[in-house]
Amino acid sequence: MGDNYQNKIMAPVMMDYEFKMKTQNERSKVEDLFDFEGCKVGRGTYGHVYKARRKDGSDTKDYALKQIEGTGLSMSACREIALLRELKHSNVINLIRVFLSHTDRKVWLLFDYAEHDLWHIIKFHRAAKASKKSVMVPKGMVKSLLYQILDGIHYLHSNWVLHRDLKPANILVMGEGPERGRVKIADMGFARLFNAPLKPLADLDPVVVTFWYRAPELLLGARHYTKAIDIWAIGCIFAELLTSEPIFHCRQEDIKTSNPYHHDQLDRIFNVMGFPQEKDWEDIRKMPEHATLVKDFKRSNYQNCSLSKYMDRHKIKPDSKAFSLLQRLLLMDPNRRITSEQAMQDPYFSEDPLPTQDVFAGCQIPYPKREFLTDDDQDDKSDSKARQNQQQQQQQQQPNTQQNQVQANSHDHAANNAKRMRMSGQNQGNNPQGGQQEFHQQQQMMFGGQQQGAGSQQQQNFQQRF
Amino acid sequence: MAGNFWQSSHHQQWMLDKQDLIRDRQHDLAKLTDEEYQKIFNFFASIIQVLGEQLKLRQQVIATATVYFKRFYARNSLKCIDPLLLAPTCVFLASKVEEFGVISNSRLITTCQTVIKNKFSYAFGQQEFPYRTNHILECEFYLLENLDCCLIVFQPYRPLLLFVQDIGQDDQLLTYAWRIVNDSLRTDVSLLYPPYQIAIAALHIACVMLGKENLKPWFAELNVDLDKIQEIVRAIINLYEMWKSYDEKKEIQALLAKMPKPCPAPQR
Repeated sequence: MGDNYQNKIMAPVMMDYEFKMKTQNERSKVEDLFDFEGCKVGRGTYGHVYKARRKDGSDTKDYALKQIEGTGLSMSACREIALLRELKHSNVINLIRVFLSHTDRKVWLLFDYAEHDLWHIIKFHRAAKASKKSVMVPKGMVKSLLYQILDGIHYLHSNWVLHRDLKPANILVMGEGPERGRVKIADMGFARLFNAPLKPLADLDPVVVTFWYRAPELLLGARHYTKAIDIWAIGCIFAELLTSEPIFHCRQEDIKTSNPYHHDQLDRIFNVMGFPQEKDWEDIRKMPEHATLVKDFKRSNYQNCSLSKYMDRHKIKPDSKAFSLLQRLLLMDPNRRITSEQAMQDPYFSEDPLPTQDVFAGCQIPYPKREFLTDDDQDDKSDSKARQNQQQQQQQQQPNTQQNQVQANSHDHAANNAKRMRMSGQNQGNNPQGGQQEFHQQQQMMFGGQQQGAGSQQQQNFQQRF
Repeated sequence: MAGNFWQSSHHQQWMLDKQDLIRDRQHDLAKLTDEEYQKIFNFFASIIQVLGEQLKLRQQVIATATVYFKRFYARNSLKCIDPLLLAPTCVFLASKVEEFGVISNSRLITTCQTVIKNKFSYAFGQQEFPYRTNHILECEFYLLENLDCCLIVFQPYRPLLLFVQDIGQDDQLLTYAWRIVNDSLRTDVSLLYPPYQIAIAALHIACVMLGKENLKPWFAELNVDLDKIQEIVRAIINLYEMWKSYDEKKEIQALLAKMPKPCPAPQR
């Protein structure tokens, strides 16, 4: 009978019934294996992330379940699965399993659960700073974080993978557990193999890096992504860890523009770094948007700007090892920017305190756990807001649901950040000197960048542990 | 890993054992001879190649699609999914993984229809390409599951380029060897041997074809298992031998009719 059926021209049997049944019976459903209802911890352009536990109790670990936005296998879902399937490094997020839900055509990715990320960690420090409270963390925490970020990126780069979207929200940190305090680089959805570019990269995703972390060559229209672009982003993150301020913060209205050239963002970079000298970046003239740059910008407007001055205002001394490494990461000329490997050899990392595997170095983790989001918290913020206020008294200025942003992708993240920045802008706005001095003292205690600020008894005790 | 073959899923999960391969094909080999089985694969590899060319995909993408196709049937009988559906599905998935850019659903279906009608009418007669987007999308999930999400495939092209560079750029040699690598996709070697060995075997055949005696010392200095290279060479030469006495246009319809086919749900 089957053969008869086959011979009818217009009605082929695409799939064998027995095969289909067998595969269906062997396939496990994500909701059969994991409990995650009501446990959403993240939402963004990438989809939804849930905190999950195994139903059978075979372990009591937390897992992160990411439901990819949309249905079916988009190209970014394909890339994410393809790459994560191959990647194995202690500082890169580990894909445990993929679930394909045939009925609703949803794709689920199972990861280890990371309780923290740099977006929340930095936010926590900013909030503490604004309310003039100090946060107790190990002196070497920033160094440990940076080292592990570099280690993970070095692994990716040496395996011909570019991240292309590095930002604090994509740098996860493991909470209590066997991998306590371990950095995990995440959100590789846009990552690509670049050993044999089949297509100019810029053609595929018009805008991939959140502007604040975008290298100047991208803003000037560079057609290809490079390792150096990831390194610039790491430099930005390093600066932000040292100061709790996004170094190239810039108001954004239109995030998803396809035009790479972005006047305000370049202006912000020059305001911090100074306008690049010819000798510092010879190939700048070859950039596609160089003519626009010449038309729009005047070197003389940035004569008093330099990275050392900017960092000095934030109490990072120009003669410190941290500063000298930062400067090498944030070189304007992509060809002269150092590689992740060179960065890991920097004297900063051989200077005391040495980086630790657990970035919290065994100390108590001061950051709150991720909050669960309600499905309708977009409209109804009162509930979660109340909870937030209770649990995180330090965070005075949280306008709404920014807790939501777990490894958030470009859009929401930048928008919320922008909001946050505006609200706390008083610190820098009118009276930068005054406002910031307070903050810097605290900063030293928070991240232990400099030795002098460590006055309190508690702080001394704390530091003795390292 | 994506840059390191030895740590890749390709090496760790998809270097198959010849005996296992033969055992897993028992169901199909009960109905087809070894040679008939190979001829059917040869045919569908052609469909993938032509589809890829029509869609202006690079050879790398086409090769990856072909390997997906072979991997699926290495673990499953031809009857599980109609290869005429799986072939374009492999092309579709490979183009996304290799970041060629997503081929639109309608363009894929239209191309399948044109290709089947214009280039393979000797096999399908008046029959049109019978599948639609929803079939491809459903099939794609099954394909991904059966590949165990191993989507990065290492191909012999890159090692080939490096070897030819090492030999001293020789465009004629490269062209020949490149084509032999393309032909190797019609055999099982991509399931059985690492891509660099396939590249060496292709170079070896190319040298013999071109009478390049002077490269003997270069091969002698290679630190590779020459038995393996010989096995690959033999598999490819066997293919060429088969082609000599084979007229696909005449034989394929009978072969397709003989091919094990999916059975529908039992009627109640």
